[in-house]
Amino acid sequence: MLTTVFLPGPHLKTSVTGSQWTRAEDKPEPPDILILPRDLVQSFWPSLVDVAFPAPQRGSESVVIGIEELMMYLARKVRIENPNLIREYLSQFIGLLDVIPKAVNAAKKHFPEAQLVIDVYQDPEIADCYLVLYIRLKHYDDSVMERLEKAEAEFLSHLVSKRGWIQLTTDFREPEGDDAL
Amino acid sequence: MAKKYAKPPIVEAVCEFRLTPETRWDLTVPGLLYEKLKESFPQKDQRMIQQMELTRGPEGLHQQIRMSELIMFWTEDKKILVQVGPRLLTINVLKPYPHWDGFKPRIEMAWESLQAAIEVQGLERIGLRYINHIELPAQGVELTEYFEFYPFVGQRLPQQMVAFLTAVEFSYADGRDHCRVELTRIPALGGRSLFRLDIDYFLARPGAVKPAEALAWVEEAHSQVEEVFEGCITDKLREMFEEVL
Repeated sequence: MLTTVFLPGPHLKTSVTGSQWTRAEDKPEPPDILILPRDLVQSFWPSLVDVAFPAPQRGSESVVIGIEELMMYLARKVRIENPNLIREYLSQFIGLLDVIPKAVNAAKKHFPEAQLVIDVYQDPEIADCYLVLYIRLKHYDDSVMERLEKAEAEFLSHLVSKRGWIQLTTDFREPEGDDAL
Repeated sequence: MAKKYAKPPIVEAVCEFRLTPETRWDLTVPGLLYEKLKESFPQKDQRMIQQMELTRGPEGLHQQIRMSELIMFWTEDKKILVQVGPRLLTINVLKPYPHWDGFKPRIEMAWESLQAAIEVQGLERIGLRYINHIELPAQGVELTEYFEFYPFVGQRLPQQMVAFLTAVEFSYADGRDHCRVELTRIPALGGRSLFRLDIDYFLARPGAVKPAEALAWVEEAHSQVEEVFEGCITDKLREMFEEVL
């Protein structure tokens, strides 16, 4: 059986509004529930095409979609500074796509009270840049450095033989913005 | 005759070959392939990907999450890469799109190198996918002005949408091939609207194309993708993309 879906026509005018990032803070909105990760959508596509496939098909392996899925994941977990710079960095070092969630989870585990901030660090003296994941706390105590080391140890091995880098650290600033604790 | 644009909205184009399980594959294959591709793709990297598989059995749907390692070979400028995983070969080009004249030879090189390295028994899937980011200089946008492919919303429903995802799968070559087209709005920087138009043309009938016919299939797929792309946009967008005559 093949289910065919017919689209009605002629079409009405259809407009969209909203769903913007503000220039001032360059801050991503939480992902809208209607914008689903592509592979999830594809996984349930058979409800429309049903028996056209023996099993659901996964789309061709895209770098851009992988980055967007990660950005959506990050938007729920951390404060994102300079999202376009992060995208650009990731497009050069896509090997990091599977490491970053591990770094975020490790940071959250060892600093459940912290605000996490991700950014691209550009060395002002040499042509080198890398991702940096900051933990920001209301109060810093002696345990911070030890906890940082423990968190880092949980994902460092996944950076071996990869190009690109993500550094977990703190800038000793207080949490800020709407999502500050 | 295909149109060529000075400012194409393509952020990525992907050509993918998935081989049937009968093709013998082992851990040495990426190394063999690298030996053949290293002059053009000298930089190596790797990553893990998660794949969710749904299979239908007598007891209903069965879900399985599988981890696979992809080895990547990049060009020196990091704009083109070859990804190799278990029975998987993907050629990705990032923006700026080098046009078909620049993409096609890379596909041929990678595919022929794979065939020289192993004996490909069959093709489970071939895909040619184009991901376009279309940026418009306004927040409130009448989709009909720019697109010929958009969600239909009846008059009794609100006409102002804050988000949408429109997806359709078309059938080609008597059902041998399918083309999945998606249009969705994605977050943009202030004052602008950003849309992703994703066109994925693929072999929907596993094994229907022989390995020797794969490159001819890709050429045909490219023609169809061009047609679909042109069918999705209006002249207003064509003007923005600046056609090269």
